[in-house]
Amino acid sequence: MSATTPRSSLVRNLLVALTLIGAAGTAGAYFISSRERFWVNWLLWTLFLLTLGLGNLFLVALERMVGAHWSVPMRRVPERIASLIPLAIVLLLIGFFGVPVIFPWTYPAAAHNPILVAKTAWLNLPFFAIRLAVCAVVWMLFYRFYVRGSLRQDESKDPAFTLRARRLAPPFMVVFFFSVTVLAFDWISGLEPEWYSDMFGVYLFAGTFISGIAAMLLGVLSLVRRGRLPEVQTKHVYNLGSLALAFTVFFAYIGFAQYMLIWYANLPEEVIWFKHRTEGAWQPVAWLLPLLHFFIPFFLLIGSLGKKHPATLRLAALSILLGHFVDLYWLIFPVLGPQPLFGWPELAMASLFLGLGSLQIRRAMGRGADMPVGDPLLSRGLEWQL
Amino acid sequence: MSSATFAVLGLFSDAHKIVDAANQIRPRKLGRLEAYTPYPVHGLHRAIGLAPSRLGRLVMLMGVIGAGLALLFEWWVSAVDYPLVTSGKALFSWQAFVPVMFEVTVLFATFTAGLAMLFALNKLPFFGHPVLHSKAIKGITRDKLALSIEATSEAFDAEAARQALLDNGAESVEIVPVPAWDRPLSLVGLLRTIAAIVAACLVAGVGLFAAEKLIPILPPMIHMHEQPKLNAFQGSAFFADGRGMRPAVAGTVARGHLPPAFATPEEAAALLSNPLPLTQSIAERGHKVFGDHCAICHGLVGDGVPLLSRAYGGKPGNFLSNEIRARPDGHYFGVLMLGKNAMPSYAADLDENDRWAAVHYIRILQRAQNAKDEDLR
Ligand code: HEC
Repeated sequence: MSATTPRSSLVRNLLVALTLIGAAGTAGAYFISSRERFWVNWLLWTLFLLTLGLGNLFLVALERMVGAHWSVPMRRVPERIASLIPLAIVLLLIGFFGVPVIFPWTYPAAAHNPILVAKTAWLNLPFFAIRLAVCAVVWMLFYRFYVRGSLRQDESKDPAFTLRARRLAPPFMVVFFFSVTVLAFDWISGLEPEWYSDMFGVYLFAGTFISGIAAMLLGVLSLVRRGRLPEVQTKHVYNLGSLALAFTVFFAYIGFAQYMLIWYANLPEEVIWFKHRTEGAWQPVAWLLPLLHFFIPFFLLIGSLGKKHPATLRLAALSILLGHFVDLYWLIFPVLGPQPLFGWPELAMASLFLGLGSLQIRRAMGRGADMPVGDPLLSRGLEWQL
Repeated sequence: MSSATFAVLGLFSDAHKIVDAANQIRPRKLGRLEAYTPYPVHGLHRAIGLAPSRLGRLVMLMGVIGAGLALLFEWWVSAVDYPLVTSGKALFSWQAFVPVMFEVTVLFATFTAGLAMLFALNKLPFFGHPVLHSKAIKGITRDKLALSIEATSEAFDAEAARQALLDNGAESVEIVPVPAWDRPLSLVGLLRTIAAIVAACLVAGVGLFAAEKLIPILPPMIHMHEQPKLNAFQGSAFFADGRGMRPAVAGTVARGHLPPAFATPEEAAALLSNPLPLTQSIAERGHKVFGDHCAICHGLVGDGVPLLSRAYGGKPGNFLSNEIRARPDGHYFGVLMLGKNAMPSYAADLDENDRWAAVHYIRILQRAQNAKDEDLR
């Protein structure tokens, strides 16, 4: 439990103020700017929070599945960041009201579009709602299982939970991959329903995972700096940095593979999606993406020194998170037109959503011990040597 | 005595003790510290003062060079030396180059890692390490850990090193002398090695060759290439003209390519009529011929508007015009055989049936564009 110092309550008040200003701006955006722009913004920021949460839940489950020791002392951080999931699910459910506004397959004109008519078995409102509900329930169940269970273990010190968590991890992985694919197909590529890419689900997963790692890195580093994780050493953070390095490469690989195949085949109905995103005013954004999401973190993290240096790690993580935002923006916003829009509605909604997200994480940061003290693997994680 | 010492070895059986001993001895600069252990010991590399490996930086450098070379090569091949437009892409299409750049980066990086580690950093080839001839080696390969202080100069004091090891908990100490050979790799040794490799290859090759002759159960696939026949465009001493391919006998007529019995389209119009019945399959055949060969100039509906750019100045006949519609089938056939001004001859490209099918198809187009009421019913 962190005591409330004057500084921390100041930060809290600032965040609350930011959120309130953002809320006012968001209300304004709803009535003044176009409805499409409002809901597209809503989707962007909801997905940003949701993917950070899901990425961290995935990290927790991954550690359980492979039986890693090194990350146990830091596991409270991803468990806490995963608390974005309930918040983001609420936001996504609200976002359901925006579906008829921004998803062309819901427009009456879709009935005359042969491509969309052929897809009605998948793209219809009842089934869409069912998929959303199933995903939300699955995410919530696993979130509660992993995070609440781990917190309860602090007191009970019951090693049975560690075993149960490991046994449930493989089915979680399967369900998780399906749910992220559905999320990608339904909520992002569904914005341009004529287009499709087999790899799109993997692409969103890669972005989710690497930005989850980046968020975890920032969380760990900030707790270490505040002296709340005195036993987490350079070796632990170093390993997390290695994971980040590996998955920036994975993300770049998936992203480029998707782009190159579509570029090469040059099929009109597929390539038009990239044409809108890589030409004209969107071209600089398209270049920003590999820069922030790959080149900067890759060269920061490739050396062993970079992975030991908190400042370098923090910079790489920030670059990845910014890159993740640019990624979602670049995926979603071109539906509004050939000009990248970024004005007061975007800023207002950013402050609302980021404010809400930060408050949620801050609240979670105070819950339970800073290390999973009830986990029997904790001591091994602390002794673990690089 | 001291000049003949290679190293002083101290044996330990506890991993913590050897790390402590190394930490104690290192500042005294008695000689170069080295450790031999049957399993990796955490922290030992730092204790013996091993500098961080330079391998990483080398690999990075070579990886970047590999990427650059691949890019340069692909640019030169596809944009400079043999510029060939592939599926409408720009000559310098970086997207297409990335996979090769990636592969070459990996290739350069891994080869650098492997070879530099073996030859530059691990100092191979190195036949036989002096420690292999010590008495301690048996223990080292089983359960003992050894810390060695290697002589780096004439002034090496083996006695001081021995004492230092004993003072820091070594269970026993052994002085390893410099081996009898002066250089680990001599010229003679190298030549012998090469000769041995060549001899081994020779024996294996000759043996395989002989075995194949003696036991001809499984003729290798290579014999499929050696068939007693002439391939297309192969030379042959057998024929007077030296060519393997035989020219057709004078007067040979290919099926479907009878020489025309007319000299002008007008003569053809008087002589010929379409011998093919107008069936579904023939109409489809005509559609295909027309689409493949004619539509590019005469337009998809035969209206004489080319699909070519305007730079093609020719005026292909408009099949829908009354004048051309009035011409008999034989005339069309004649034009296809003989050509007409800018209209090329299709005598070689199409056989008789294709030509008549195309004529049918032109009639279909004409009828489609001038449909009467009963056609629509
Ligand atoms: C390279 C362009 C080109 C192609 C390909 C071409 N034509 Fe022509 N065709 C012409 C031109 C130009 C004329 C007009 C010749 C003239 O009247 O000077 C013509 C004339 C004709 C005429 C004669 C019309 C008349 O004036 O009596 C016929 C019949 C004809 N084409 C049939 C065909 C058919 C059938 C094909 C496909 C097998 C074909 N053409 C392919 C360019 C072409």
